Amino acid sequence: MVRRPALLRIPALPRPPLPGPPAVLQTLPERFTSRLHDERTAAWLGMALGASFLTAFATGLVSHFLQHPPGWAQWPSRPVNLYRVTQGVHVIGGLATVPLLLAKLWTVYPKLLRWPPVRSAVHGGRRLLALVLVGGALFQLVTGVLNISYWYPFPFFFTTAHYWTAYLLVGALLIHVADEWPKVRRTVMTRPEDAVGRRAFLLTVAAASGTVALTTVGEAFSPLARLALLAPRRPGVGPQGLPVNKSAAGAGVAAAAREAGWRLTVTGRVEREVTLSLAQLRALPQRTARLPIACVEGWSAEATWEGVRLRDVLRLAGVADGARVRVESLERGGLYRTSDVAPPHWRDPLTLLALGVNGAPLDLDHGFPCRLIAPNRPGVMQTKWVHRLVVS
Amino acid sequence: MKARIAVAAVGLVLVAVGVRGIVLHVDVSGWAVWFVGAAVLHDGVLVPLVLAAGLLTRRLPGPYRGVVRGALVAAGCVSAIALPLVLGYGRRADVPSRLPLPYGRNLVVVLGAIAAAAVLAATFRLLRERGVGVERAGRGVRLRRRPRPGPEGGVRR
Repeated sequence: MVRRPALLRIPALPRPPLPGPPAVLQTLPERFTSRLHDERTAAWLGMALGASFLTAFATGLVSHFLQHPPGWAQWPSRPVNLYRVTQGVHVIGGLATVPLLLAKLWTVYPKLLRWPPVRSAVHGGRRLLALVLVGGALFQLVTGVLNISYWYPFPFFFTTAHYWTAYLLVGALLIHVADEWPKVRRTVMTRPEDAVGRRAFLLTVAAASGTVALTTVGEAFSPLARLALLAPRRPGVGPQGLPVNKSAAGAGVAAAAREAGWRLTVTGRVEREVTLSLAQLRALPQRTARLPIACVEGWSAEATWEGVRLRDVLRLAGVADGARVRVESLERGGLYRTSDVAPPHWRDPLTLLALGVNGAPLDLDHGFPCRLIAPNRPGVMQTKWVHRLVVS
Repeated sequence: MKARIAVAAVGLVLVAVGVRGIVLHVDVSGWAVWFVGAAVLHDGVLVPLVLAAGLLTRRLPGPYRGVVRGALVAAGCVSAIALPLVLGYGRRADVPSRLPLPYGRNLVVVLGAIAAAAVLAATFRLLRERGVGVERAGRGVRLRRRPRPGPEGGVRR
């Protein structure tokens, strides 16, 4: 329920002859007669929204620091599906947040139209905070939705803008939570006796979120793949039953990857440099691992990979236990031409230099002749078309 | 109180970190257009459309109003999220497994399912309303809980 500020209820006061705003502007908030525009609805939606955004922030940070690890961080290679889950929660949860945010903004919309726009310095500060919250939340959801659709109509680089805006949004969110805490506590803890149909409204919003989740979650949770009518990916669709993010042609490696002279070189801080042909790699002990490709865009799909253990190849060359390995692709450039493999990952027996997937040699688009596949790691770091391992 | 001040202080630090990162690493003018533009388009276009839908559905009979509005909320959210997929600007000829589905048709299927659920819910309500007519005396408390529909719309039950 939005009440007109008491100040405005004294029309008889003699006022300076300045032309005041039209009466319609001063009474706009009162024209919203739905009783769902009230504190209690806003509080419940706000709590759900706060939990959603904090979850997205945490899972987003996981994904960010996996790809840009600070010196002290040691990301484990197990559980195998951890990144798959955190990033799935980030993206599917983010999509399901859209109805929550829209409902919350609708609930508090009359506050936008209050007159006068700014009553005091504190009130002005709150309104600025609201702009940061509204702009930031919409910015994150809009850019996120566009990014997973591979549509980049904005003039900035998605990951950088999405990353830094997250700090701004969550910072504003924490200030907002601290500011509204007593109000939320009071309104949620008291039993309303006003017969406003909040429950039906909140259930409707939950149903909308549920519909969004249900029609997209199958891109990560393959038992529901057939329900993923509105997901940008579908497990099972792609060469060898596996989606592809970057094709060999798109990466400009189609010719180089098929060359008979392809060799895998292990170099850097090794006891002896090793060069292996594809036939020599196939002659090493072959292992099988059931591992997912878990993309930063939220989709993931499991496959059965065959190849040699990365640690077997590295031990052929003789490397220290604490060594770090840079895996290099045949690609000439691009952000993801190389990836770093820290000890927990290269020592893991599940980490393979895969030569085949799902019972056949790798498709060119899956990284033929040789690709990295490791547990609990973003898809962009499962380097394809590998030709060099540089140990440091 | 101390905890609230601490939370607000952490928030201020994060805001500062975010602003610094945006200024240093992002094209600020383009970013600002999208940041403020999103809020302006939401407040100036999307919400007025929702309010108009609330007005248009105001005259529906009580039992159906909430169902129709609920279906519109779900359908609107699903459509907004599916729009970039339906437009399909992200498709690439060399990566057919990217956006592989007929999203226009799929959106129609999902909207159809929402409509079907709404029809079911409305039928259920109709039947229940008829039943309530008989046992009205015994359920007076429940009936009193029904909110009054307002002129702006948005009251649902």
